[in-house]
Amino acid sequence: MRTLLLTSVFLLQGALVSVAAAQPAAPGQRHRFEVSFGGLWIAGAPLGPDVAELRANRVPAGPFTLFTTDTRSASAPGFDARVSYWLTRSLAIEAGLVRVQPELRTSIAADAEGAAPLTVTERLDQYFIDASVVWLVNHLRFRERTVPFVSGGAGYLRQLHEGRTLVETGQVYHVGGGIRHTLLMRSSGVIRTLGARFDARAYVLVDGVQFDDRARTHGAVSGSLFVAF
Amino acid sequence: MTLRLRSGQALRLRSGQALRLRSLRLRSGQVPRSTRIAAIALLCALAVPQPAFAYLKFTTRTLRGNVVTLGWSGTPVRWFATERGVPGVSAAEFQAAMARAFATWETVPTATIAFQFAGFTRAEAFEDDDRSVVGFQDEPELERVLGATGFVVDVTTGEIVESDIFFNSTFNWSAATPGEAGRFDLESVAVHEVGHLLGLGHSALGETEMIAGGRRVTASGAVMFPISFGSANTADRELQPDDIAGVSDLYPASTYRSTTGAARGRVTMNGQPVFGAHVVAFNPETGSLIAGFTVNADGEFEITGLAPGPHVIRVEPLDDADLDSFFDEDQDIEIDFRVTYFDRLLVAPRGGVGERFDVAVTPK
Repeated sequence: MRTLLLTSVFLLQGALVSVAAAQPAAPGQRHRFEVSFGGLWIAGAPLGPDVAELRANRVPAGPFTLFTTDTRSASAPGFDARVSYWLTRSLAIEAGLVRVQPELRTSIAADAEGAAPLTVTERLDQYFIDASVVWLVNHLRFRERTVPFVSGGAGYLRQLHEGRTLVETGQVYHVGGGIRHTLLMRSSGVIRTLGARFDARAYVLVDGVQFDDRARTHGAVSGSLFVAF
Repeated sequence: MTLRLRSGQALRLRSGQALRLRSLRLRSGQVPRSTRIAAIALLCALAVPQPAFAYLKFTTRTLRGNVVTLGWSGTPVRWFATERGVPGVSAAEFQAAMARAFATWETVPTATIAFQFAGFTRAEAFEDDDRSVVGFQDEPELERVLGATGFVVDVTTGEIVESDIFFNSTFNWSAATPGEAGRFDLESVAVHEVGHLLGLGHSALGETEMIAGGRRVTASGAVMFPISFGSANTADRELQPDDIAGVSDLYPASTYRSTTGAARGRVTMNGQPVFGAHVVAFNPETGSLIAGFTVNADGEFEITGLAPGPHVIRVEPLDDADLDSFFDEDQDIEIDFRVTYFDRLLVAPRGGVGERFDVAVTPK
């Protein structure tokens, strides 16, 4: 998957070099559909420390630590696919699908009988299915074909444990922004616009796999090619 | 066919003969020989190895040779209390403490078992009278035994038809709400014994240390741990996840099996199966610890009643209580290995069994 991400980035760079010359500026095209597909990297996040406790033999009662755990969801590459519909030249709504396969890593320590610390793992198959709003900041456009944007949305979190033995669900929220760079724009034909977009997002995951009641925040960056029809 | 099981004659079972099965709760310290004989008798009759669960369930072998699990088939289970107190605990306080202990098991939401107080009686515990009687008895020769549970069992079906509990009045007892220094908490020991009355064996979720003259509990993760906390400690009034998994497996509520999962696997050492290993599943989300044992020649175990989700699996030798608290003394229990964790997180599915896995332990 990491190879796929790097390949995507190199393809985008190649495209920029080859078709960037003398293209008109490209804000969103009103009442047009747009699809994008690219690679994504999501940062890890802690899922919480925990203590395996027995009850100590004392009065008043207190805990006895059998061992401790500290679990985090590791960083992972994935893919990011989006379908957008431009309501105006600067405002679009999007439906997105993100898939990543992060590893759950639980570090075990402080065993009461002296077992050596170790880390045990499991791989998740994780999906975000979300709806977003994208707003182009046209007045910050630079070099005509590059436009920054901000975005935000919410959606459905679906996590499949290794071997698909269990499905856990929750909600995912995200805010972020990025830039869109137009590589090609035409006034006719099926494909009207071709470009690249780079996103940086903060994802907040609620429920799903979690070992405490707190929401988890993951940073993520993605690079995609988009095509408008 | 119903066979009567009489106290003190637990080693042989033949048609028409009565045989009493007893389960003992010990206080800290070495078990004297007289007590060990009683305990061995219990385990010979009850802890027949079979694919195991989150604890040991009492089983017996039928006349046809089948292994059946002991349990009550009709509810509510009616119980009588002896009309006799001891210094510090009146008969009324005894009955009230017992009622709370029964209610503790009765209110487990994932299990269906009900009890009914049938009244005071002049009958004694461990009389074969078709009445389940609980009461104090003076048993000075059982100098480390706080309480014991016996059964009358239909050995064709495993149905418990009578079960009695005695509390050893040799000890100082208390029914006070906060507990009392120098006195054992009656309700705590009663909750343990009622667990036996339901058909649960002992849990090994606990840590002990050897001291002069015996073994001392340093910590426990189950009311059904075989050795009691010290005097004044009331912690065992509250069931732990391992206890709840046990009673829920014996008397499951309608949705219990469809909403919990199980872990199944095998423990080996140097490529050979390990018998009697204690396998603990820890759920980091709920903080619960539920355990089982490897109980057959292939070193296999199964832990049920797990909340769906990832679990840490820890395998340890059965070295925190006398082995005959869990298994037949004749069985070859392997305890010479190091605590070992399974190197993956084990995911318990909802209403099913997780992927079977092996844990290879290393010798000490």
